[in-house]
Parts: sequence; structure tokens; C-alpha cells
Amino acid sequence: MKCKRCKALAAVALPSHHTGFCPECFLKYFADQVERGAHKHKLFDHSDKILVALSGGKDSLALMQVLTDLEYDVTGLHIDLGIGESSEAARGFVTAFCEKRGLPFHVLSTAHYGLAIPDVKAAVRRPICSVCGKIKRYYFNKFAHENGFTALATGHNLDDETARLFANTLRWDARYLGSQGPMLPGEGKFVRKVKPLYRLTEFETAAYCFLRKVEHGKAACPYSGGATFTGHKRLMGGLERVSPGMKIQFYEGFLRDGRPAFQAACKEGTDALVECAKCGYPSMSETCGVCRTRGMVAEKTAGR
Amino acid sequence: MITVHLEPGNETLTFPKINTAQQLLNKLSLGQTDALIIRGDELLTPDRRIHYGDEITVRTVISRG
Repeated sequence: MKCKRCKALAAVALPSHHTGFCPECFLKYFADQVERGAHKHKLFDHSDKILVALSGGKDSLALMQVLTDLEYDVTGLHIDLGIGESSEAARGFVTAFCEKRGLPFHVLSTAHYGLAIPDVKAAVRRPICSVCGKIKRYYFNKFAHENGFTALATGHNLDDETARLFANTLRWDARYLGSQGPMLPGEGKFVRKVKPLYRLTEFETAAYCFLRKVEHGKAACPYSGGATFTGHKRLMGGLERVSPGMKIQFYEGFLRDGRPAFQAACKEGTDALVECAKCGYPSMSETCGVCRTRGMVAEKTAGR
Repeated sequence: MITVHLEPGNETLTFPKINTAQQLLNKLSLGQTDALIIRGDELLTPDRRIHYGDEITVRTVISRG
């Protein structure tokens, strides 16, 4: 297979685009996709101060690398979840990546706030992935807000987004469908959230990391067994194999034709947010979910 | 022999003969975009030939949390 652009030997075949690229042209294609998405949905521009959520996996580190290459003002934030060797390894990948390239980054440990994930898992009855996600979103946003960042970027890719869209559609969850997309505007203490990799698949971010020499964690979270999104990704992957290009069509079609209807429907029934009585951040109830979880962990720990 | 390292999981398989990267994907029941096929410092597209004595890494790309 030859590279579509320069006719050299291809290294990456992309059935969804009926094409292939050599290493150099693939890196250019990857950056172009990020710029195209950022421009199309007005995710950010070069005046923005962007906080990049770094997990230590391929997507977040690829995001940090490509935004750096495109000369955006980026700073990384890694949240250490306190899950033994798994978290130590993740932290190690982030630290090595940023230090090697001289990139600014911070590490925030949930254990410092009484929310080490093993303790949370022992204290709550809900699925841990859901609670962990809420805690991470809370601290990424809080850090961004309190440190003057104008955008919070995450490494969600096209596979993540189509799996989530599929799950939301299965439940016809109008509120989630109305708010799903590559950009969630900032409001009050909520910093604008952006997903610059939404046009790129996991295969593409993995190939990018290999070709750009980004060392990343490959092990799954020890608590993620049976996560429903993994099953949804496999289903979507099967459909993509039969109809290459289906995922991006599904997602872009939703953004163009589906989301506006759900956004309109949601405006009518929006629940008012109040300030959490404990932390002051927006909440659906008197005390926010993270502060309630912290209380449950403290109670469980005291009872040991 | 052709030696194939599977990531993640660190499993190693050997095959007496595989002609192409596509054949390797088929043997592992993987689609073209389910995994990177790595030989040394290069990525192989499905049409690339695999030779006797090659050491290949198959890195599946689906993230699980």
C-alpha cells in the first residue's frame, strides 16, 4: 500500500477513509484532524489557556503531544487515584512524558482529599467507574477553574464518543443526548470542556503514539472489568468493519441533525443547579455528589 | 518460526508460517483497526508480507477504562 499523499510505503491503513499514509503524512493527517475539529466546533484558539487531563494512557498523552506540536498553550493535570501499582504506573508514564519534553504538569492525589478510589469502592454501592468518573471530572474542573484555565481538554476519541452516543441512544436519555458533543460551554464555575480527538479513532491515537514515540500505559484499570462501554465499543467496531466510515458518520450526523432536537427538549426541563453547601461548586442537591461520597468514605473508614 | 508478542497481556505465540499482516490479524480474530502490527520500529499495513524469523508485536488498541 502506498501513501495517499507522497506515494511512499504506507505505515497506517485507514479503511474508513479508503486510504493509507506513510509515517510523516500520517502525523500531518492526525494534526489536521485535530485542527479541523477545533475550528469546526470552536473548541479553542491560540489565546486559550488549556488544561489537558492526563491519565497516562495513549489518548491523553497523544492529545498533549499534538496540542504542543500545534503550539497551543497547554498544561497537564494527572489525577492519582490511589489504586496501588496501577496508579503508580500511570503517574510514572505522565511524569516521564512531561519531564522528557519539558512540558508543564501537575499531579493531584484523590487520597489527599479523602477519596482514594479503593476506599471509595468499599464505601459506595454504585458502580465504581461511575463514581470515579464523577470524582475525576470534579477535580479536573475545580483545578481548571481555580487556576485560570479557559478550557479543559480530555482525550476522548471517536470510539469513546460513539460508544457513549450508542449507550445514550439505547436509553433515549434526552438530557445526556442534548449535552453530548466535542464542546460543552463554560458557565459559572464550570470551565469549557473540549474533546479535540473526537474525529480520531483509538487505532489512530495508538498509531500516532507509536510513530511520535509517545510511551504510554497499556494496562486496563483493575476495576474496569465488565465496563459496559467496552462492550459497546466492540459492537460499534463490528459495524465499522462491515461499513467503514460508519462511526464518524453516526457521530457527525448526530451533532448536525440529532443533538439540536435534544438540546431544545432539554431547555424546557432543566433542573436548577445550586451551590454545594460544603464546597461551593454547582450541585443538583444541597450537597454535591463528591462531598457526599467523601462523607460516606469517612464514615466507612471511622467504622473499621 | 514467526514469533508474535501480544500486548497488553505479554503473551507470546509462534507460527510456522504467516504470509501477510492480514493473515496474522485473521488468525487472531482481529479487524484491521483493532490492533497495531509492529515489526521493529515500523508499523505494517495489512498487505505487508511477514517473513520466516520475524518478531512481530500485536498491540490491541481498545482502551478499557
